[in-house]
Amino acid sequence: MADTKQREIVFRDDDFVLIQKDKRVTDKKLDTKPTTFFKDALRRFCKNKASVAGSIILGILILLTVFVPMLSPCNITMVSTPEAFLAPKLFEAGTGFWDGTRKMEHIVYDVDNEVPALSGRYSVAAIKAALVKIKVDEQPTKIDTANPYGQGGVVVVATDVALDNKNSLMLSRAVDFNVAGEYKLDVIFSDENGVSSSELGEYAVYLKSGDETVMLRDFSRDYSPLSVSISDVLKQAGYDSLRAQIVFEVKSASSNFQYILVESAVISAKDTVKNAEEIAAVSITDATDFINTGDVNSLSYWSCTGRKGIHDSLIYYCDYTIDTYALVYDDADLVTYSATELNNWIEAGYCTYDYTVGPESFVKLTDDCPIDVVESQTVMGITKKLSSITARGFGYKKLGYDKMPKFLFGTDASGFDTFKRAFAGLRTSLFLGVCTAAFCFSFGLVWGAVSGYFGGNVDIWMERFCEILGGVPWIVVMTLCILHLGNNFFTFVLALCLTGWIGTAHRTRSQFYRFKGREYVLASRTLGSTDIRLIFKHILPNSMGTIITSSVLMIPSGIFSEASLAYLNLGLQGKQSFGVMMSNNQPYLGIYPNLVIFPAVVMALMMISFNLFGNGLRDAFNPALKGSE
Amino acid sequence: MTAFIILSLTYILVKLLPFERPIGGDTQQISYFDKQYNLGYVYRFDHEVPEYGEYLYKTPSNNGRANYYYQVPIIKQYANWLKNIVTKWDWGYSKTFQPNVSASVIIGSRIGYSIRLNILSVIFSVPIGILLGIWAALKKNTMTDHTISTLVMIFISIPSFVLISFVLRIFCYNLGWLPSTWPTDSATTAMKIQGYIIPVFCLSFGSICGYCRFVRAELCEVMESDYLLLARTKGLTRSQAIMRHAMKNAMVPIFPSILAEFIGILGGAMILEQLYGIPGIGKLFILALNYKDYDLLFVDMAIFTTLGLLAGILLDLSYGFIDPRIRMGAKK
Repeated sequence: MADTKQREIVFRDDDFVLIQKDKRVTDKKLDTKPTTFFKDALRRFCKNKASVAGSIILGILILLTVFVPMLSPCNITMVSTPEAFLAPKLFEAGTGFWDGTRKMEHIVYDVDNEVPALSGRYSVAAIKAALVKIKVDEQPTKIDTANPYGQGGVVVVATDVALDNKNSLMLSRAVDFNVAGEYKLDVIFSDENGVSSSELGEYAVYLKSGDETVMLRDFSRDYSPLSVSISDVLKQAGYDSLRAQIVFEVKSASSNFQYILVESAVISAKDTVKNAEEIAAVSITDATDFINTGDVNSLSYWSCTGRKGIHDSLIYYCDYTIDTYALVYDDADLVTYSATELNNWIEAGYCTYDYTVGPESFVKLTDDCPIDVVESQTVMGITKKLSSITARGFGYKKLGYDKMPKFLFGTDASGFDTFKRAFAGLRTSLFLGVCTAAFCFSFGLVWGAVSGYFGGNVDIWMERFCEILGGVPWIVVMTLCILHLGNNFFTFVLALCLTGWIGTAHRTRSQFYRFKGREYVLASRTLGSTDIRLIFKHILPNSMGTIITSSVLMIPSGIFSEASLAYLNLGLQGKQSFGVMMSNNQPYLGIYPNLVIFPAVVMALMMISFNLFGNGLRDAFNPALKGSE
Repeated sequence: MTAFIILSLTYILVKLLPFERPIGGDTQQISYFDKQYNLGYVYRFDHEVPEYGEYLYKTPSNNGRANYYYQVPIIKQYANWLKNIVTKWDWGYSKTFQPNVSASVIIGSRIGYSIRLNILSVIFSVPIGILLGIWAALKKNTMTDHTISTLVMIFISIPSFVLISFVLRIFCYNLGWLPSTWPTDSATTAMKIQGYIIPVFCLSFGSICGYCRFVRAELCEVMESDYLLLARTKGLTRSQAIMRHAMKNAMVPIFPSILAEFIGILGGAMILEQLYGIPGIGKLFILALNYKDYDLLFVDMAIFTTLGLLAGILLDLSYGFIDPRIRMGAKK
């Protein structure tokens, strides 16, 4: 516009040359390469970076699901309790991250052995060897329950309304007392108030032999220490010697619970008495130890007609980090096993053992036996039956490994490798998804093609049928199928197929409606094509893309359905199932989060990559988006 | 009509399952079977009738006399069942879960939890989802849009139980802020409110992502349309054009889906109810299944089916209301 100056252009004849003079003009072959719909789609799919990334991840995951269950030597069928709940391990121990160590907080501390109290499962030496870090609370915590690792506190003797408001008696075992032995009883009471909304009550302390009683302190509310010479009292009462029980009796009252607090009750005597051990056993020195004595036959057990409890027992908690692999697989020097475990091994034919002979009778029969040598045994006090043995030898070799195993995702309650279980489960789910998608694709395609192509009444009736079938929620279909046909892989495929094809059919139908009126179809029809030819040669290839995409996306929905059903207690039985594993591990979410979180991440990754892949496929197959990018 | 056919088929399929005896002593058994007799689902005789097959229950004999109960043919049961529903609104009785309690009573006592939860989650998810979607659409192809779209993509792919596991892990166990199970009825009000947070969050999450994606797609399409360009050319500012023209049209397909979601979501909380221990109808489904209480199970199934269909119908109808271009029953 700005250039207003006009230039004069003069054309001469020889400026023009006829380029096709004396040449034959023919059709030329196109220089560009011919492309098909699918090739074009593939090219456009490759341009979409997110989808390519998604498909690569998906490919890796699928390869893993195929090869992990095949190649991993880990056991996922035989329950192996010693290996339960191992922490996930990828790196060598000591790296501090993903190395098979587990951090635990607020765990009871075993003061005597200076280790965390680990339910008696592992030997002290093994725990000490496996401990990475430990921090014990500086101040003990006071609890009102008897804990095997607690100490101190006071014994609570209380009445119980449930027992008809009768006086509560706490009785020791019968012990011989005599005048010559200078027997003495020292009791320290505590007068702390307000234990579990009840009050300190009236009580008495006395000796009881049959129906005869010798009072040591009569009913009162005197909580001062009691120091009384039993021998003197006996002399006054006119006895020379007496086999008697020591009794603490708390008087009941109708209103509150009545209780007394006994810190200690020690019987002492001259050094020369015969039953010095006996009276030492009967004495209450440590309230927690006293309450923990559950063995009715033991000398230090006091029976009680009311309630016997503990108050202010002291307990230490600790936070620690422990190498779970060292704990389970290192050669622990001495481990205690219960008689039940030993009997299981004997029954399985692993070894023989005769507890009446002792540890030297142990003979190891097969390599499956987890112990090599029995060091010692303990026998129950009264029944003289074997209660436990202490044995040597418990390393990874005994559990069938050549070297220290590594579980990438840790192990679950049954000692199964979560990594292998997750992928074995995913393989089943994937197979289920592929089977379902394949069926739904073929059936839905035919149904939708017929319905869409013919239209009219055929279409209306076929649509009504779909509508009814599609109206049933999938959970109802699933439940009914499982209830009627039993829980197996086939039922799952059937139930998913039963309603799954409707989506494909619907999509195919709309695609057919779109293409069946096109000119090229009309052209083919005028040339005398049959319906079959029109459907399969002309219309179907054009609508294929959308239908394939929807079928691919049925695979993740199959996986998802299987997993969801397991949470509803309808999980797939008889095969490794991802959902069943997840729902089994769900209760351990609080303590062992690795059991749920790791498989969940794998599942989420698979779903995300499936969706990315599906989206890319959809865009690639969508002719409307051609050339837009 | 569809609902009727589906329910009939489901009823017959459930009835075809092997008969499960109700639990409880003889008095409970007798009361159960007498009720069933009155409703027309079993026959009662004072002697054995071998041609009806094996008897379901025999009352303890009293001077050599006893009542025998036999199963009525399923088609007849079906007819009686229809009659009972139409005349008495009687949906049957629970057998093993809460013996002799009417199924509608059990459902009624539990459906409230599910409804409350779902209404709350819809209230939360609709505005958040739509706002996020609008934000993403207005900033199309910028960092904001990419971030939102990627997050939505990721979260929409994560299965609900995975999400619930993560949320429970983080907020209940690691941080200890929220209760890890549904508070009991006797819990304090503060506790009850806290108990709603996780279920509502988990339920809303999927819908938020869904709405966001939907709104973004719709709005993007509208923004590229010619009439919006016209609106701009005639002098409206961008915000005016968007508020007056784009929004209205973009909301057309979104609004019906909200209505449908309102109803349809009721059935979607089953896993959540199971994992979080919420005593709703989803949990009831699992319980009834475990107790093999098929009559109760059927009623629960019927609710899910009806809700699903209702949502579908509402979706179709509301299109007509909202979009004047679609008229129901309009000719070509």
